[in-house]
Amino acid sequence: MSTRRTLAVVTAGLSQPSSSRLLADRLATATADGLLEAGQETDVEVVELREHAHAIVDAMLTRFPSGELATALDTVTGADGLVMVSPLFTTTYSGLFKSFVDVIDPDALTGKPVLLGATGGTSRHSLALDYSMRPLLTYLRTQVVPTSVFAATDDWAGDGSDALARRIGRAGRELADAVAVRPAATGQEDPFGDTPDFAQLLGGS
Amino acid sequence: MQFGIFSVSDVTTDPTTGHTPDDTERVRSMLTIARHADAAGLDVFATGEHHNPPFVASSPTTMLGYLAGVTENITLSTATTLITTNDPVRLAEEYAMLQVLSGGRMDLMMGRGNTGPVYPWFGQDIRNGIPLAIENYALLRRLWTEDVVDWSGQFRTPLQGFTATPRPLDGVPPFVWHGSIRSPEIAEQAAYYGDGFLHNNIFWPMHHTKQMVRFYRQRYEHHGHGRADQAIVGLGGQVFVRKNSQDAVREFRPYFDVAPVYGHGPSLEDFSAQTPLTVGSPQQVIDRYGAFVEDVGYYQRQMFLIDHAGLPLKTVLEQIDLLAEEIVPELRKIVEAKRPADDVPLNPPTHAERVAAARTAGASGATHVGDGGDAVTGTRAEEAVR
Repeated sequence: MSTRRTLAVVTAGLSQPSSSRLLADRLATATADGLLEAGQETDVEVVELREHAHAIVDAMLTRFPSGELATALDTVTGADGLVMVSPLFTTTYSGLFKSFVDVIDPDALTGKPVLLGATGGTSRHSLALDYSMRPLLTYLRTQVVPTSVFAATDDWAGDGSDALARRIGRAGRELADAVAVRPAATGQEDPFGDTPDFAQLLGGS
Repeated sequence: MQFGIFSVSDVTTDPTTGHTPDDTERVRSMLTIARHADAAGLDVFATGEHHNPPFVASSPTTMLGYLAGVTENITLSTATTLITTNDPVRLAEEYAMLQVLSGGRMDLMMGRGNTGPVYPWFGQDIRNGIPLAIENYALLRRLWTEDVVDWSGQFRTPLQGFTATPRPLDGVPPFVWHGSIRSPEIAEQAAYYGDGFLHNNIFWPMHHTKQMVRFYRQRYEHHGHGRADQAIVGLGGQVFVRKNSQDAVREFRPYFDVAPVYGHGPSLEDFSAQTPLTVGSPQQVIDRYGAFVEDVGYYQRQMFLIDHAGLPLKTVLEQIDLLAEEIVPELRKIVEAKRPADDVPLNPPTHAERVAAARTAGASGATHVGDGGDAVTGTRAEEAVR
């Protein structure tokens, strides 16, 4: 087994345990299963935004992330793939979820495969994934996989159908396929590596 | 190593008394602070430049020119001079005038300014921040080093046969720093010219400061000005000191909690852990700041922010005394002992040292235009008009 992949799982659920975390874990498992079929092992690292809620607000005010939030951001930006799950509040992703995305360096997620999930009380809001969450991650130039998974109360109620499980399985395979073909993450890049030489800066002015 | 103070000139209500100084009171308190720092023996006083409330320091050379006349030893500087929105022609004139008035007891630090709406008030656009900083500074240097300048560029009207007066003192321009927090292009600019680089890290974690300074040092060496460890580096800092650390924390916390920039955010304890802010006893400041050389290498100037967030003048003057008497002598001893080699500059270059270096290099020329004709063409102004 030569390749190990890192999957970062961001969940914005507020209760503990939360249905968002439940969904996130199942999406992560489905992705890891898919990668295993491709002969790759997966390390899953979960970032519960609830634990960083105060630090996220602090980072918005001070403009730098503190201790454990900085580590969480490194986990997310350094991962080979990303699962992101938010509860839907008032028609869209939660404020905490958006605030976390706001403190990520806007260039740091470029090209990263992302699987989106959301939870809510009623399936009437399921399109929020596609009209709000997907454009947000598209703006950050991530590679959002086609299937995103919305889980409403009905889905957890277990009416005997395996619809949710099938959606999770399909989404996980899509993320696994996207991750499997990527070159392995190389770790920390030189933060100033693309700074132009001054002669170039002078010439361009 | 030099130790000084810098002011952002904010007018802020004292949260413990409700007193808000008016602009006149705030300007005068800055003068008192600078004179007190000079008398106490600190090395540098620097003023910010801002053109929007709640800041009052819109006219740095007026303030520093006055201070040049009423202080004895302190180096007068800026933090920062806006190289983007100021006309480089005016900067060349004003700072050469300050250099002459102060007998060379000055330097200045270039900065871009990060407040978008300010730019159009001066005919500029923040989206051109970096190109403005580059073009304007390139012109400013020529205006100081060449007696007669023909120039055209992107951001101001062309110059034909222009001479900026007064010519720099002894024919040697002021020493220049470049301040930047996040833009490596500015560190690159400082390195390219062999100028100083000050990372104002007061609101930033040291690992970030460390990366920026390392980048500047590498590029300084790359551009052939000396070894990386010989580059001229400055850092910002922020302290509040009392003999007993508990007293310092108790007194400063109400100011911290509602301070501009970081107020209503992280706790005093968290922010202190993450940034250079040190609230405590003189020994705590000495221990903390004495260790920064381990992160960025030996550096030449340490600045402290001590007069913001509505702190009363009396308190600020006490902070200056504590710095000058209880902290700087010991701190200087500790950090200077860590200087890696004798050919690593102890301090930023003085005017006298720069004149001597220019003479050695044979580069120092005429100092004044004199007699109505300029040194290069020998023509008079009225003849040039013809």
